[in-house]
Amino acid sequence: MIEARNITKFFSIVNEDRTADGITAVLSVSLTIEDGKIVSLLGPSGCGKSTFLEILGGLQAPTEGSVYIDGAQVLEPLPSTRKEMDEYRRKYRLLSPLANGLIKNRPKHDIAMIFQDYAVFPWMTVLQNVKFTLKLRGIPRREREPVAMTYLRKIGLADSLNKYPSQLSGGMRQRLALARALAVQPRIILMDEPFAAVDALTRERLQDDLLRLWYETGITIVLVTHDTDEALYLSDEIVVFSPNPGAIRNRFAIDCARPRRRSDPELLALKERITSLFKYDINHESEYSI
Amino acid sequence: MNKYETKGARSAFRLALRELGYFFKGAAMNIFSLEFLMVLIPLLGLWELLPRMGVVPRTLVPPPSDVAVAAWDMFTKHNFLKDIGDSMLKFFMGLGIAVITAIPIGVLMGWNIAMRKRALPLFQLLAPIPPPAWVPITIIFFGIGLPMQTFLIFIGAFYPILFNTYQAVKDTEPRYLASARVFGASELALILHVYFWHALGAIIMSVKTGVAMGLVMLVIAEMYGGRTGIGYVLVEAKDYFQISKMVVCMVTLGVIGWFLIEALKFIELKLAVWKVGR
Repeated sequence: MIEARNITKFFSIVNEDRTADGITAVLSVSLTIEDGKIVSLLGPSGCGKSTFLEILGGLQAPTEGSVYIDGAQVLEPLPSTRKEMDEYRRKYRLLSPLANGLIKNRPKHDIAMIFQDYAVFPWMTVLQNVKFTLKLRGIPRREREPVAMTYLRKIGLADSLNKYPSQLSGGMRQRLALARALAVQPRIILMDEPFAAVDALTRERLQDDLLRLWYETGITIVLVTHDTDEALYLSDEIVVFSPNPGAIRNRFAIDCARPRRRSDPELLALKERITSLFKYDINHESEYSI
Repeated sequence: MNKYETKGARSAFRLALRELGYFFKGAAMNIFSLEFLMVLIPLLGLWELLPRMGVVPRTLVPPPSDVAVAAWDMFTKHNFLKDIGDSMLKFFMGLGIAVITAIPIGVLMGWNIAMRKRALPLFQLLAPIPPPAWVPITIIFFGIGLPMQTFLIFIGAFYPILFNTYQAVKDTEPRYLASARVFGASELALILHVYFWHALGAIIMSVKTGVAMGLVMLVIAEMYGGRTGIGYVLVEAKDYFQISKMVVCMVTLGVIGWFLIEALKFIELKLAVWKVGR
């Protein structure tokens, strides 16, 4: 279970005229995600959903609030004094991916993460990419290849083991990212717009692949997306974010049984409701600027 | 067992030979392409004809035939090959030391902000000193000979490699790092498997700059101190007003530089094979 309590993230920036300024990327977001669910964080770009996802994964410390994964805290807010900072570092050396070991790889929570671009390392072949994450997870050298092969076969990449990501299509690359994440057998996968960069047909196939693997493994998936159809088709729950500052606007549970049809009237009705939320956003903003 | 080993060694040797063949073929193709020969041959002809027809004084501009004769003389009678060998020894020692020191320091400075803050200002202060300015103090320190020349070549090649490596490592895409960190990557694993490879293209590029600077410093070092080497022969030829001999030295340096750059391009192709598909 992932539990986020009152997460706030504030970035301080310096304006061009050298005045201090700040952006509240996420404001007081609380969210509980049950095990084995697919939850989508939906919203326009710049509404803090990616930042929130990175906080869930422990890649950023929140300014306020805390995230618990199965009761263990991920990263608490950074302290303000130097003395407290030392203590903080000591405490989270073992917990946060930000404070991983110097020499020894230390897998922490069973989390995997997939990004839209830069998802796989272009300097490694398909097989090397998967084996590398297995290495990081401390799996012995001899077992890496068979495990990697299992997942690559599952996802249909067994034919292009020695290709480099630049030789693959965009869809194949995301598939590789998926195989790489699944190979470490995580309980939670965090996805940051994983299918945004591929064409619509490939995207639908990738979504089906993802669902198939989800049935098989029963992992928890947190998916950041700005594609309403994708969110509707995949998720058990949609959390709609609104920008300035990033906050939860609405939550929709989807009880529609799987496999779903993309043209299911129930989903379309829900889509109508969600898009109307965004419309309101746009009107609201233009009024404000006038 | 033994049989397999020799077989393995033989096939590795054969592979190396084949790669070497590809390399020379690729390098030669650049020079001896029909398109370039169409430019090169008329140029050489012009160079041959102008001094012979007296358009330019032949004593100052020796035609290629004179240069070729001088080259034959130098290689057969004056053992110019040994000079080339001596120069290359110094050059590779200097460049090698620069590569094995600058790359690790650059990677460390790019990786860690604490190290950067402590080390970078020092290099930023020292780097603007033009490498030839190091000549006098180096001569006093090391005397005249191999250590001094090696050090000067090292100084020439060190800074371009260091700064480019540092910059490329520093600019590593944070998302690559994040995606490795989530899986529990230690800093060492990040350096070995992410930072270094991300920067590899820029590092090889910087070694090319290092080769160019190293050649500059090679000539300067040999002009100022030494009894052998291409630079020494060059200065000697100046003293005796042997212009064709000077041209031979210059062409030799040009060919060496060209060859090294081609070799680095080949290494880049082999190491950064993943970039080719782009």
